[in-house]
Amino acid sequence: MPTREVRQHLLRLLREAEDGHVSGAALSRTLGMSRAAIWKQVEVLRSRGYRIEAVPSRGYRLVEEPDLLTEELLRSHLEGCGIGERVVCFDQTDSTNIQALRLVEEGAEEGTVLIADSQQAGKGRLGRAWVSPPGVNLYTSVILRPDIPPWQAPQLTFVAAVALVRAIEQVCGLSARVKWPNDVLVDGAKVAGVLSELLADMDRVRAVILGIGLNVNMTREQLPETLRYPATSLALASGRASWSRLRLACALYRQIDELYRVYLDRGFEPVRLAWEASCDLVGRQVQVASGDDLLAGRCAGIDLDGALLLSGGGATKRVLAGDVRPVD
Amino acid sequence: MEIKDLKTLIKLVTETDITEFEMENAEEKILIKRGPSQEIIQVQAPQAPVVAAPAAVAAPAPAAAAPAEAVAEDKTANDKYKTINSPIVGTFYRKPSPDADPFVKEGDVVESGQTVCLVEAMKLFNEIEAEFKCKIIEVLKDDASPVEFGDALFLVEPL
Repeated sequence: MPTREVRQHLLRLLREAEDGHVSGAALSRTLGMSRAAIWKQVEVLRSRGYRIEAVPSRGYRLVEEPDLLTEELLRSHLEGCGIGERVVCFDQTDSTNIQALRLVEEGAEEGTVLIADSQQAGKGRLGRAWVSPPGVNLYTSVILRPDIPPWQAPQLTFVAAVALVRAIEQVCGLSARVKWPNDVLVDGAKVAGVLSELLADMDRVRAVILGIGLNVNMTREQLPETLRYPATSLALASGRASWSRLRLACALYRQIDELYRVYLDRGFEPVRLAWEASCDLVGRQVQVASGDDLLAGRCAGIDLDGALLLSGGGATKRVLAGDVRPVD
Repeated sequence: MEIKDLKTLIKLVTETDITEFEMENAEEKILIKRGPSQEIIQVQAPQAPVVAAPAAVAAPAPAAAAPAEAVAEDKTANDKYKTINSPIVGTFYRKPSPDADPFVKEGDVVESGQTVCLVEAMKLFNEIEAEFKCKIIEVLKDDASPVEFGDALFLVEPL
């Protein structure tokens, strides 16, 4: 077994023991290695930021894992998860979406994820930037290759939004909400955004790249002042100094994996219902600034292609782009 | 050609200053001529009667605001122009960002695989590429305007 896999296996065994110790003898038996060889791998892990306690006669205990976004760490947490089958990490890159487009052209498979510690050219809509400083947030792209026609591809951006809500609730215990089409809010301020790319022929999707930015530990000073919508980070919203980016990334991939499977099995309906359940505006009077138009009506949920449904005056209008705000 | 495509074609021809438009493939030939006051649309497809059912041809008429004449014939001639269509409903963007240059302009020659525009739906961006080397004859939609599924975005001449 390559030493890299040995370390992953070793980590799994230590994690499974949770707060308990695992004896060197037991590790030696399970891994089929000498105790000296195990000690050597423990030293390698320590040098990478793991705090591993060694108590004579009791064994090793994993005290703390580093909050690093490395392929090794991510893979060790993503066993059996289709999203993250392949992990590509960057200390710094232009944008994970740009890199994902490149990988797709090279034939990257479904489930490939890209994650960067910082981005030089993080993208928002209409050429806007997604502020991407190092060490604090999640910037990731997920490559999917579903067998669906192109018009259905926007549905997948709702999969990403719902998965974000669930991952935030699971890891941080914060109540997150969606803002149409696929922003995620905590306490009414934007904490995550989804910007996706579609590669398609007229009748067939070649790939969908879900680009996700999640503000995890950004400080107030790091938030740009020029934003069009109030923004926050999970740390700011919860009053905690920091959250583990690693845990959030893994929770996010697992939630996407689960919901994407549901989507492939049962279609958009369960995703749509989950999204609407996470949206505070369904049923309320809203105003939508769409281009130069200002539309008003009652938010009636989303259509099959993700269009916002606005009802009023006995008719239902479909909105394809715009900023939605409650007016009641 | 599907009725909806024919409809789109007539619509786009009438929205421009083109007075005559001719297109041909293996099964059919379509000729659209614009007259001064009269509107006549004829479609014949003897080889494949299923295509272009005459009853449905009436549908494009109201859409054709300007007088137009469309004739589809079972004849071989050159299909000089083709269109690049939108695979999704969304917003058409000619530029990667508002202050950038357009991806392409009329008269440009683009290579196969070159990006010609973006169509966005729900912050999902679809970079539309030319499927063959061609010359951009006309940009058929305004920047940042809504487009439907299958809408023709560019009239191009394959090279």
